[in-house]
Amino acid sequence: MSRFFKLVFNEQFKIYIRKSTWIMYIILAGLIIGNAALTNSFDEPNKYTDDNWREVLEEENKLLQQDNDTYTQEMKENDQEVTEDDSYLQFNMTEIEKNNYYLENDIQPHSYGAWQFVLDNAMLLSVVSLLTIIIAAGIVANEFRWGTIKLLLIRPISRSVVLLSKYVSVLLFALFTLIFVYVVSLLVGGVFFGFEGINPSIVIEKNSAFTDVSMVSEVFSAYGYSIVNLVMMTTFAFMISVVFRNSALAIGVAIFLMMSGNTIVAFFSDRDWAKYILFANTDLKQYASGTPWIEGMTLSFSITVLLVYYIIFMAISWIVFKKRDVAGH
Amino acid sequence: MVAAMELIDLKKTIGNKEIIKGLSFSIQKGEVFGFIGPNGAGKTTTIRMMVGLMSITDGDVRILGNSIKTDFSKAVREVGAIVENPEMYPFMTGWQNLMHYARMTPGITKERVKEVIHLVGLEKPIKEKVGRYSLGMRQRLGIAQALLHKPSVLILDEPTNGLDPAGIREIREYIRKIALEEHVAVIISSHLLSEIEQMCDRIGIIKNGELIAIQAVRENVEASNQEVALEQVQIEATPVDKAINLLRTNHEIEAVRNDNMISFRSSKEAIPKLIETLVKHQIAIYQVGVSKVTLEDKFFNLIGENTIE
Repeated sequence: MSRFFKLVFNEQFKIYIRKSTWIMYIILAGLIIGNAALTNSFDEPNKYTDDNWREVLEEENKLLQQDNDTYTQEMKENDQEVTEDDSYLQFNMTEIEKNNYYLENDIQPHSYGAWQFVLDNAMLLSVVSLLTIIIAAGIVANEFRWGTIKLLLIRPISRSVVLLSKYVSVLLFALFTLIFVYVVSLLVGGVFFGFEGINPSIVIEKNSAFTDVSMVSEVFSAYGYSIVNLVMMTTFAFMISVVFRNSALAIGVAIFLMMSGNTIVAFFSDRDWAKYILFANTDLKQYASGTPWIEGMTLSFSITVLLVYYIIFMAISWIVFKKRDVAGH
Repeated sequence: MVAAMELIDLKKTIGNKEIIKGLSFSIQKGEVFGFIGPNGAGKTTTIRMMVGLMSITDGDVRILGNSIKTDFSKAVREVGAIVENPEMYPFMTGWQNLMHYARMTPGITKERVKEVIHLVGLEKPIKEKVGRYSLGMRQRLGIAQALLHKPSVLILDEPTNGLDPAGIREIREYIRKIALEEHVAVIISSHLLSEIEQMCDRIGIIKNGELIAIQAVRENVEASNQEVALEQVQIEATPVDKAINLLRTNHEIEAVRNDNMISFRSSKEAIPKLIETLVKHQIAIYQVGVSKVTLEDKFFNLIGENTIE
């Protein structure tokens, strides 16, 4: 066991000694700080803190309703059909409903704070996925490019264990980077907006109704759901890296699929087999919020599909790596 | 005694092409074995099979009796190797590179790493990034890496590639020293015989995936005197054609003409008789040169000069 730990240590060492890795972290920190500055200049973070928060909410609702009315009118003047589920109207309606929930249940909305900022930064997890894909794509392919694979494989360690140490290292990198985003967001959020408390609550929409949930658990579930996609795409990039020994190809294909995944599902959504596409199943949040993308899909179905893909990716990686003749470049 | 390394009818087929056609030989501890052949003869492929980088189609490689196929960890534990170029992580220092490999084999202490660095004389630049090393320094770091775990077999694939004469001499001295002091079996491959001839005890010559000769180096230079027709004789004489004819008719020697020179092989004892014949027939002789057949000549004879790049 301690030997496996040493192998993982080696891989981590090789990841973190390189400047390019630290540039990734600097970029991430820059994005977080930039996001905070942007949020700070657009919102008035403390608009609900006074005793008149009820009036503020009602005033907001009035403005939103007005906005919707003018929008509907404008559309009609331009002879365009306006339906109830127009996205512009929907967005405002959701805000109104949310405000009403606060009013009806007599909950004072929190001022914008560090926890809320951490939650908003869950979108940065796609950047974390991207960085992890870059690491996964390089971790095997680079050894071939540098020629160091030959020295790595003539140690008294089986190839499977060498590959496992590399895969575990990629997942560790993802974990460390997630923690980095989480901690830096919390700190930067605290500096910019202050803390809302140890475990504040937040109102969110769930199954087309609003509820009051713990912010921290909401943060963890937001981060948790993104991990599914991260792990799947990372494993995919890892496989491409092992099979083709080309990091650029692995990065390119994995990022392309990650970006276009939803489009691919939408494009084939009327086919029977659409629900077997990997990307239709990576977003498990669809079950928590109530409406799956394609009818007939369930949580256990998605987990099964994900597992099958995962096993295929892993099996291909391992078989190819074990059987490969390490020849010239 | 178990051989340090033993090849048993080793074969490799890629596609339909048989690259290695059944190699069998063994190397003892403390012996330096030269593995010679023109480029593309299958040296590197054989070495890759010896260390388990390539799968073995048929036959086996045994290291201290352990098969690399079925007992990989045990077998490879006794091997240190540089395969092709000594490639290291350029963004890490020499020390970090060695520690990286030291962690992969159990029982390598920091003291051992320092000892190996001292052995190859890299104390000064060990804290520098390998990217800044010269080829000679990287070659030494490669040897250090291969020696870390005190292997019984050291395999060096083209260790003199890209080195200047001073570097080659340096490597030569190291290898002799290592074989002597650490009592390891050393296998060196090269396509240039002259570069490694002096450091080898035995030389195996490979051509088109077949071992065509195994030759002990010292034995060749001394003991081969007893063999017949091993002296290379050159005579400058006129008329040349007549001389060649005379040699053919009187002594059954096929001489080759080269301007005014004729060259052929003959035993030392026969030379006075040959000259006597030529002089009797009014051939003017200006000079007679005799040189020993070197290993290199033999090498050329065996593999054919034109197959060498």
